[in-house]
Amino acid sequence: MSKNILVVWSFVLLVLLGFSALPDEEAGFPFPLTQYQLKNGLKVIISEDYSLPLVSVVLAYHVGSIYEQPGKTGLAYLLENMMFMGSLNIGPMQHISYINRIGGEPNASTTEDITYFYETVPSNQLALVLWLESDRMKSLEINAAKAEKAKQTLLDEIGQRKAGEPYFESSQAFDRLLYPEFAYSHPILGGEEDIRNLTAEDVKNFYTSYYIPNNSVLSIVGNVNLTKTKELVEKYFETIPQGKEVPLFLPPKPLEKKQVVQVFQESLAPAPAFHLGYRIAPPYSPDYYSLVILDYILLKERSSRLYKRLIKKESLAFYLSGGIEKRKDVAAFKIFAMNNNDAMVDICQKAIFSEINKLKTNYVSAAELQKAKNMFKKDYVNRFSTPLEKALFLAETSFSPVSLENAPQELGKYLRVTPFEIIGNINRYFTAENSILLNVKIR
Amino acid sequence: MKKVFLLCGLIFFHLVASFSQERFRKSPPFPEPLQPLQLPAIESVRLGNGLTVAVAYQKNLPFISLELLVLAGESSSPESSPGLATFTAGMLSRGTQLISALEMEERIESIGGSFSATTSLDYSRFSFFFLDENLDQALELLSLMLLQPAFADKEIVNLKRTEYYDILQKQRDPDYVSKRQLLRILFKSHPYQKSLYNEDVIKNISKDDILTFFGKYYRPNNSVLVLAGNLNLPTASRKVSHYLNMWQKKELDRPLPPPPGPNNIERVCFVDLPQAKDATLVIGNVIFPLADPDFFPFSVLNQVLGGTLNSRLLMNLRESKEYAYFAFSEIELFRSCGVYFVTAKVTPSVCFASVQEILKELERMAKEKVSTSELEQAKSYLIGNFPLQLHRLDDLARRISEIVAFSLGEEHWNKFYENIMLVDFGKVFEVAEKYLLPKPVVIIVGDKNSLFDHLRDFEKLEIYDAKGVYRYALTKGVEK
Repeated sequence: MSKNILVVWSFVLLVLLGFSALPDEEAGFPFPLTQYQLKNGLKVIISEDYSLPLVSVVLAYHVGSIYEQPGKTGLAYLLENMMFMGSLNIGPMQHISYINRIGGEPNASTTEDITYFYETVPSNQLALVLWLESDRMKSLEINAAKAEKAKQTLLDEIGQRKAGEPYFESSQAFDRLLYPEFAYSHPILGGEEDIRNLTAEDVKNFYTSYYIPNNSVLSIVGNVNLTKTKELVEKYFETIPQGKEVPLFLPPKPLEKKQVVQVFQESLAPAPAFHLGYRIAPPYSPDYYSLVILDYILLKERSSRLYKRLIKKESLAFYLSGGIEKRKDVAAFKIFAMNNNDAMVDICQKAIFSEINKLKTNYVSAAELQKAKNMFKKDYVNRFSTPLEKALFLAETSFSPVSLENAPQELGKYLRVTPFEIIGNINRYFTAENSILLNVKIR
Repeated sequence: MKKVFLLCGLIFFHLVASFSQERFRKSPPFPEPLQPLQLPAIESVRLGNGLTVAVAYQKNLPFISLELLVLAGESSSPESSPGLATFTAGMLSRGTQLISALEMEERIESIGGSFSATTSLDYSRFSFFFLDENLDQALELLSLMLLQPAFADKEIVNLKRTEYYDILQKQRDPDYVSKRQLLRILFKSHPYQKSLYNEDVIKNISKDDILTFFGKYYRPNNSVLVLAGNLNLPTASRKVSHYLNMWQKKELDRPLPPPPGPNNIERVCFVDLPQAKDATLVIGNVIFPLADPDFFPFSVLNQVLGGTLNSRLLMNLRESKEYAYFAFSEIELFRSCGVYFVTAKVTPSVCFASVQEILKELERMAKEKVSTSELEQAKSYLIGNFPLQLHRLDDLARRISEIVAFSLGEEHWNKFYENIMLVDFGKVFEVAEKYLLPKPVVIIVGDKNSLFDHLRDFEKLEIYDAKGVYRYALTKGVEK
């Protein structure tokens, strides 16, 4: 191992236990991986997967919309776009072109909490991806002209979303009610007025504060040689200077318990609709696991209680969506339904409350619980189905309170949920004083 | 003068910065040698009732991806009932004689499963993805669907409603409308034409039609079943045989319709789609069928022409002329023939010029050899991208099902890399001359009100309504 790499800790998960030592229910994860940290603070995770001659690289920065300040919203998403507009040695849009030429697939995404950049390429091209990613981490070119272009692209996207998504504005209004703190409530796309006022200096400050090795995870999964990969990571990332300590993010304040019912006039809405939400336990807290399984019983999938009753049996709604949404340290259970008329809105809401009440008073049967757990398990394990999904999972988990060390125990926590926990937690969190209801009327 | 100093200063600092950085950052690294592609072996066996069962062993995930191909697509629908193949496939999971549609859905989800049906021109595909510990339950459900389907009246009504609104919805999409119009013209009197129906045919489908179609085509000797996951062929065939041995074979004729001839006259068709913002262009023609060796050189050609962001079409229409939001080319291959098509979205004012540029690019492919760098880049893309198309278990199972059903063989599997590497300038030029010289059909979809003024330069224009019904023709912008 090179002297230049300060290996803070390195270990191999999994296989440490071996698949055979794990209960069947936890098969699929863990898989072999090595984790260490460069001296500039960059966390590196490498997992060998020899199924195909491919490698996926994820460079994840621990920043998203919740780190934006009032008046500066949209910065996280804007910067994601600017990361494709050229760095010292790579011209504008050349990043995509380099990856595309070799048959690879590049992409990026911004969440409330994390911004991901990722590529899947033939495994003999790993060095190319590390060259590209390190260049934009080290020396992104930010100037007024590029910032203006990115702002216009973002404003156009908001314009298109407003025109094309009939409930776009009511969704944003609902989030403001559901998440009273500014950090959690504002949209990832940002506010139009804020975006217009952003300067290249704002973008630079955001970049130098958050797009730094000590705020990032580099996750590499694929048909690679561990020693060679470590050497390449060292070559391209070791000399990128460590940034300043990232600005402190304050934990959310305890929420005031108060029911909110409001009406929103939506100009493009083709039909009356409503958003209903409950503030629930924080992600990965002890109560959270049973609420995720409850999501599968109540709303997810076509055989869930609400889908069956509202859509299939009684036709009270013609569209239904929602489920648990997590935004870093807070989580909510959201339901959105579209109805034929205002009277149907009322009947539909009553049916939802009646289904919730049934769950509050009757234990879920063993068969229904098992069905929910099986569907959950399918979705959970499906996250390890490709090198890219594995790499994204590893990056996300390393930032989450779960941590990679504890990740192998996670699936079991969901699969051990009991009917007692479900009845306890639906009574605890699905209360009137924890609920937000926004009725959407056609303007 | 100050500006000059400032500029010199900036250049100086830039040079200092670039000289002071590590040398390896200045240019892309050379790749390592390409790693060999070792795909799982496709093992298959034919059961006593004629059902072909194939397995691809993948050990890492606790899932099984099951693909059942029944070789009855829209080309098998009777002339009087277009849409029947799609409708029958959609009914399969909607309940049996003992289990309601709701209960069936419940049982599928109970095993951590998802089930879907899709119909193409040549076959109907049933995709079943589930936790591998539930293989027996999954096969039992599949056998119930195949051996005891109910085709209940209530579910027929429900599916008719869903299909009707789905088609109406699709008819608002200019991409769907334009491609449908192209295929209607190219497949004019071919059995594939039946797949291009409007929403009004749905109401005519009856329970008897479904029963007849099902009884004729849903036979084990007309089907292929692929299982990908942590299992081997002996286990798979034993279990499949256990659950599906009562599925009875019946001899049936599945003639291969001769391919339609390529279009070779100038045809420009305009489809009026009210409120469409831009002009959507689709330009294409008939090519070779599945399993034809021209697939490899034509795939390289397609990459050079419009397969990626670096291809000629996008570079010309978007980057150079700034006419288009996007411009790509694709190929789709079927049992009897294939189709190539160029798709582009352009601003109405440059509609005519964009069509001319696309036609020029097609002609250029057929008249000039591609450059070395274009050829190498196209091959590098295809070779690099091939494993990406197989890295999901369901993608793998899907690809294998087509290889087995249409006898594509090793050429499209472990020899794929080799076949692409062997493509040279001559072969690309040969297929370009063969397939791109016949005049393609041009389809333009947009709102008549915003687009019509920009179409006067076309010598002759056929006008269709949103449903694709011919209305009248224009010569130099004047109605004839």
